[in-house]
Amino acid sequence: MSTGLERGQQPPVEVSEDDLAALIDDRALARDDHLNAPGFVIRPDDVQDVLTDLRDEAGFDHLANLTAQEYADRYESIYHLRKYADPTQEVSIVVPTTTDNPVSQTAEPVFRTADWHEREAFDLVGIDYEGHPDPRRILLPETWQGHPLSRGYDQEKPQLVTLSEHANPVQPDHHDDESDTMFLNIGPHHPATHGVLHIETVLDGETVVDVDPDIGYLHRCEEQMCQQGTYRHQIMPYPDRWDYVSAGLLNEWAYARTAEDLADIEVPEYAQVIRTMSAEMCRIAAHMLALATFALDVYGDFTAIFQYGMRDREVIQDILEDLTGQRLMFNYFRLGGVAWDLPEPREEFFEKTRDFLDGLPAKVDEYNDLLTGNEIFQIRTHDTGILEPEVAKQYGCTGPVARGSGIDYDLRRDDPYGYYENLEWDVVTEDGCDNYSRVLVRMQEVEESAKIIEQCLDLLEDWPEDERTVQSNVPRTLKPDADTEVYRAVEGAKGELGIYIRSDGTDKPGRFKIRSPCFHNLSALPEMAEGEYVPDLIASLGSLDIVLGEVDR
Amino acid sequence: MSGVASVPLQDTVLLPERLGNLTGLDQFGLAGELLATLVGAIFVGSLMLTMTALAGPWAKRKITASFTDRISINQIGPAGIGIIIADAVRMLSKELIVPENVDRPAWDLAPIVVVSSALLGFAVIPMGNGIQLADPEVGLAYVFAISGIASLGLVMAGYASANKYSLIGGLRAVAQNIAYEIPLVVTGMSIVIFAGTLQMGEIVAAQHETLIEIAGISIPTWYAFVNPFAFVLFLVANFAEVGRNPFDTPEAPTEIVAGYQTEYSSVYFVLIYLGEFLHIFLGGAIIATIFLGGPAGPILPGIVWFLIKIWAVFFLTQWLRSAVPRVRIDQLIEIGWKGLLVLSFANLVLTAVIVGLLA
Repeated sequence: MSTGLERGQQPPVEVSEDDLAALIDDRALARDDHLNAPGFVIRPDDVQDVLTDLRDEAGFDHLANLTAQEYADRYESIYHLRKYADPTQEVSIVVPTTTDNPVSQTAEPVFRTADWHEREAFDLVGIDYEGHPDPRRILLPETWQGHPLSRGYDQEKPQLVTLSEHANPVQPDHHDDESDTMFLNIGPHHPATHGVLHIETVLDGETVVDVDPDIGYLHRCEEQMCQQGTYRHQIMPYPDRWDYVSAGLLNEWAYARTAEDLADIEVPEYAQVIRTMSAEMCRIAAHMLALATFALDVYGDFTAIFQYGMRDREVIQDILEDLTGQRLMFNYFRLGGVAWDLPEPREEFFEKTRDFLDGLPAKVDEYNDLLTGNEIFQIRTHDTGILEPEVAKQYGCTGPVARGSGIDYDLRRDDPYGYYENLEWDVVTEDGCDNYSRVLVRMQEVEESAKIIEQCLDLLEDWPEDERTVQSNVPRTLKPDADTEVYRAVEGAKGELGIYIRSDGTDKPGRFKIRSPCFHNLSALPEMAEGEYVPDLIASLGSLDIVLGEVDR
Repeated sequence: MSGVASVPLQDTVLLPERLGNLTGLDQFGLAGELLATLVGAIFVGSLMLTMTALAGPWAKRKITASFTDRISINQIGPAGIGIIIADAVRMLSKELIVPENVDRPAWDLAPIVVVSSALLGFAVIPMGNGIQLADPEVGLAYVFAISGIASLGLVMAGYASANKYSLIGGLRAVAQNIAYEIPLVVTGMSIVIFAGTLQMGEIVAAQHETLIEIAGISIPTWYAFVNPFAFVLFLVANFAEVGRNPFDTPEAPTEIVAGYQTEYSSVYFVLIYLGEFLHIFLGGAIIATIFLGGPAGPILPGIVWFLIKIWAVFFLTQWLRSAVPRVRIDQLIEIGWKGLLVLSFANLVLTAVIVGLLA
């Protein structure tokens, strides 16, 4: 019997640190190793060169994240590279620039995803990227004064922006007299944008010729708020507010994993099992919502399938409420474990959860009848919103979106954490690359998550009563060594949810950067939607399953 | 079969005439006749508006809720029926927002055109128990013609709103109506070949014979039984014609917000909404008349049977709304022009040949 944990293809040959050093050669000015990966400092005008070599020669095809930060004497951009084939192989490329002339070469020609990332770095930190095709702000309004995460930024200074100074989104002259196209603002108030997203669309009849997602309407300075909280307790509530539709525990795990690695905290095995189980419950709830809202986008009304999704999600939501005391903002994980043990009486909790799992196959059948088996649904979703695997990798897509394009990438298996290694489950991939595949992937992942929960329940039921340690001993105040840097990611509901933390010797992070999977997935929307019809644009957007709280942070 | 028409079982006395007799208005000549007709029209109009009031705020919600495992309205009155009054007050007391740049009076006329085209259609529908305002010889053609005017209203609403979503919705509506009006009419024609007349009363009367007797229950010659193929074609074309799922592309809430009705609020919104429901019921009435024997049915009075039949069609639209995804606009046009049109002409030719051979 397969454990499901072997990869389909052979992992590429391991590239040792020496090989990397040889590859980068004298372009490396210095070493700046991070906890998770070797780090090389390069000159700002070598960026494209080095990244191209790393991508083509060493196989680092995944620009997982880009962190920008300002030190007392310099700016720094960190490119976190990994491999889709083996994400445990990582390398960080550190690009320092001087404070008075923070100009660095753009990485956009090498990795398309650098486009949005560098816009964000410019917006929040203030680094200019030379050669960037679209050097605009991304999260803050165009008229914003200053860069909020830079050191000299005055938070007290009011941002007074008059309407006339601001780009008016409803200005009538978006088209010239020559063209037959029509400019259309989809959102920020629109029934199908899954939150406050604004898509600037150019239509030729019903065909979409240009798509430009405009994000930032839900930017809540999450990174800055995390930088102002103490590691031990004050940061954990924030992750619940990133991907806020049921995926809370998965997000909390991203922070827990990163901070535990940073401060070298052990997690008891019992707590790991509880974490694994509850996180998978969140995944089921999140995928159910994704299926339901995707159906809503394609069906066009609050139809049966939407309500069925909500109905079944409600059951798991109740179980999570029993466990964590909360329905939306769980705040259940702690550094070194979880907040408390399973609710008493345990038998009742086990029974309730098992009832849900037993009923699930019948419900999945029902979904297949109503949704995936429906001919109209099939003609609507087959061969629409095509995202080729190579394109998906360029945009750093992960999660069900990548797996729907046949990319066999799941951090639960490839970069193991929690208790996943010891359980039997499969990574689901589909090769269709279209909206239909992404739906199928989510549907099957619900079943895989159910398998994981079932095994966790078995383990928890038999766990000896005197070994149920839910938290290890963690000091009240955590002060990791100054200038320790780490990037860690978990498989969130939407994909690779990563966090970069640099400690500065205090009990608060010096820099806290969130790598949001939705941010990457959404950036691929133009590739999927251009040349298709408006309804397909909406369906593609739905199939990406974005949550604006996570895109904008 | 056309010979049947000479022995009409239908009550041939029309409603205005009967009202005239009853009230003695017919003694006053033309003025009395006019008044009687007006009273009759008000009666039929009120009946259909009552149906719409029942369907829009209440039945639609209740039906959808039971399909989707919800409870829905249950607070005001028994089973929440009081919501009809509450909603009426709510909708009518809202501010009528007139956006800048709307093209008046087209923008104001559009809702009226939509509603009146649907209401006028009921004039020739035989509803049983002698409730029929008029029975002209071209009844069926009249119904198709008058309900087709609604497309004009939708286009007016679409372009006059000065909103891009409305414009797309209006264009979609007209493309859809053109694509599906033809199959609708052509399929209707095949029934005319059977019945040998366009007169609604005669078409109903022609469906009174016994087609076949199974275990003592006689199946009448309703055209749905005589030609089920035409029935299905007509049903499909009708759903597209009234813009219901899976063909609700002109509104398409998740795509183009609300299509042509995006900019309408308050009374105008109510009128457009009303028009849509009336069109569903008019579609149901046409289907009932030319396929389901009109008001015919055992035991219960004709009008009750007639209402049951149009509600059955309404129920079907709500069922589809809950269960079937929407097709894309290009797929919709393709189904119309490449599928339904061909099939409806095939049906017409076959019917003509068969009827010709039997006659």
